[in-house]
Amino acid sequence: MKQTSETGGEASQDPSGSASPASGRVAAWKLLAAHPVTLFSIFVLTCIVVVALAAPWIAPYGVNQTDVSRALQPPSAAHWMGTDDLGRDVMSRIIAATGTSMQIAVASVVFAFMVGVPIGILAGYVGGLVDAVLMRVVDVMFAFPVLLLALAIVAILTPGQLTTMIAIGVVFTPIFARVARASTLSVRVEPFVQVSRTMGTPGWWILLRHILPNITGPIVVQTSLSLAFAILSEAALSFLGLGIQPPYPSWGGMLFDAQGFMSQAWWMSVFPGAAIFIAVLAFNLLGDGLRDVLDPKQRTLAELRRKR
Amino acid sequence: MTKVPKSAVASLALLSLAACSTGESVDLDGSADEVDSAVLRAAIGGEPDQLDPHRTSAYFSFQVLENIFDTLVEPDENLEMQPALAESWELSDDQLTWTFHLRDDVSFHDGSDFMSDDVVYSYERIINEELANAWRFDAVESVEALDDYTVEITVSAPTPNLLSNLGGFKGMAIVSEENVESGDISSNPVGTGPFLLSSYTSGDQIALEANPDHWSGSPELAGVEFSFISEPSTAMAALTSGEVDWTDNIPPQQVEDLVDSDSLEVEVIPSNDYWYLAMNINEEPWDDARVRQAIAYAVDREAIIQAVSYGTAQENQLAVPEESIWYTEYDQYANDPDEAERLLDEAGFSGGSIEFLATNEYPETVTAAQIIADNLEPLGFDVSISQPDFSTWLDEQNSGNFDMLMMGWLGNIDPDDFYYAQHHSDGGSNAQGYVNDDVDALLEAGRTETDESNRADLYSEAAQIIADEASYVYLYNPAVIQGWVPEVGAYQVRSDAAIRFRDTTLEE
Repeated sequence: MKQTSETGGEASQDPSGSASPASGRVAAWKLLAAHPVTLFSIFVLTCIVVVALAAPWIAPYGVNQTDVSRALQPPSAAHWMGTDDLGRDVMSRIIAATGTSMQIAVASVVFAFMVGVPIGILAGYVGGLVDAVLMRVVDVMFAFPVLLLALAIVAILTPGQLTTMIAIGVVFTPIFARVARASTLSVRVEPFVQVSRTMGTPGWWILLRHILPNITGPIVVQTSLSLAFAILSEAALSFLGLGIQPPYPSWGGMLFDAQGFMSQAWWMSVFPGAAIFIAVLAFNLLGDGLRDVLDPKQRTLAELRRKR
Repeated sequence: MTKVPKSAVASLALLSLAACSTGESVDLDGSADEVDSAVLRAAIGGEPDQLDPHRTSAYFSFQVLENIFDTLVEPDENLEMQPALAESWELSDDQLTWTFHLRDDVSFHDGSDFMSDDVVYSYERIINEELANAWRFDAVESVEALDDYTVEITVSAPTPNLLSNLGGFKGMAIVSEENVESGDISSNPVGTGPFLLSSYTSGDQIALEANPDHWSGSPELAGVEFSFISEPSTAMAALTSGEVDWTDNIPPQQVEDLVDSDSLEVEVIPSNDYWYLAMNINEEPWDDARVRQAIAYAVDREAIIQAVSYGTAQENQLAVPEESIWYTEYDQYANDPDEAERLLDEAGFSGGSIEFLATNEYPETVTAAQIIADNLEPLGFDVSISQPDFSTWLDEQNSGNFDMLMMGWLGNIDPDDFYYAQHHSDGGSNAQGYVNDDVDALLEAGRTETDESNRADLYSEAAQIIADEASYVYLYNPAVIQGWVPEVGAYQVRSDAAIRFRDTTLEE
């Protein structure tokens, strides 16, 4: 099942990109490019990724290097974002945590995507009993508040980076399943699918060739939004002490450490908080931009605007 | 484990500021009738797990129970044992029979009389049910009621620390049989103490009401309300805004400013608690004493103390604090990474990843763990820190599922409390698995030696071997930090961190 969706995911790029100009419509990326907010969010995300990848080289100090004699220093030339209660450089830790946060967000969303999308497509396309069973399972998972379910998963496994990825991935799986199913339901009754079916095309080929490419839009948007929420969830878990374990830095964990020093060391909370804010906002704005472009209705509006 | 750390609110310090509370003249005659008595609102760091003094091991429980229950004898502010429910006692010439004469004017909060049967029942409950404090009766052969107000305790060998075992803290409280048998004791305890429980709202507060018939006289306060505020800065805000009158949950980083402040009374006094590192001696590479010693040289105690207590704690390489009559000077270990490196090379240790068991319920363990991880990194240790809740922590410790851990022991009085259970090969709290026949012999001798200076020598020798071989790597003695509004009077901070409100006053 994973295999199917992987190939499917790649295949989906082509139709949406190449088919559009052929139909005389504006290419998706051109619409995106015309949208300054989206462009900006892409720029910010690129910066975040660069920072995450280059962390070991650009962090000015050792991540876990303590020096109590320099504890709680306000931002200065030596420590741009100040130092924390153990004398560690806040900026170095934020930079190091960027990579961790991104890894967890991407890995957990990929997990949710790989599991959720195939479930959703299968349920939507096959229908009947399969649909009923799969969707009830998804409903049960939906019944738990997101964080509660994640907490339960972490409580069963031991806290750590892998567990955090699994917990967030599992929590987001039903969302992808539902989005994929809803889109599949509308696509499978389209004439071209019906025709393909009457021609005797095997089910898996229809799923791969006809269904998946045509539900890409909502799923891509969902992926971007999920990345934002995955970052938030990771921060929440780490804040509660169930995500990344000390001494390794995470934005949420740094906020937790900072709460005892709110009145004395604002830099300990403001900078990690700003990091979370920026990353989440960037993914959200990107998601919004993508939706405008990929959702047929919004897209028509955008195209009209463009023509005018 | 037998004597569980009473929990811990962390932070310590040392500056004997003793009783410099408000300067108010205090009316101690107990005539509550004419005083406009008020209810004191106290904020403690967490909610008691239960209120059965014999079964709980949480410090939060004892903060409340200290005011509800009495023991036969009780420690005064110098931790010397004074009469409480027992008015007087005699020790036979062979040192094997202790006879306690009880007060005859004491009644439980439910109105029933307190008599010698209650003492026998309470002690037998602890012994027969093998409760956490049963080890305190290891030397006791029998507890008998000679008449309604006389109790005789027979011991198998001279037991110089019997009084501190019987009265060191409220875990040895005298309970009411009826209260225990009905099962109410865990939520609605009936004691003989200066306050009685009037209401308990789980998750919210515990309200106590003065017991006008207490043997030490009626308390000045009409009652005490305990609320639970786990976050120190929140507790501090509550104290500053006047929502509460008293708290022991004070952010250590603010202590320096607060001590000088006029609007609040904050006291910092040295405590008898200590925090330590222990390594799992049953596993490699910790079975080699040189590796443990290397850790003792590698840790930066000063940095740890600064980080966990803002300098309020006192560095100590043994358990007993400097103020105690049992103190031994010892400074074998300095922060010396080269020596640590040398010892590790000698032991043939070549690096590896280790698990540090901390717990988020004692945040100082997590803070210190991060410093220690940094200290050990250059030596080739890759330290991963786990921080489960305390009950999981205890399970992990007791099943030997750790490489290194940090914890503290609270409420110690007698040197036996400090060393026996932790380092005797049969000790109930020897989770690290330390075995040394010499130490065993010394600790056993200390239990029966009645001459105080000989006894001090025995413990001094044992303690030095323990530290030399790094059964524990001792870190520091914390301070007791408590604060209250200036309207509170006649309250005394105690080095055993017991919280007694029976003489406390509160101006409206």
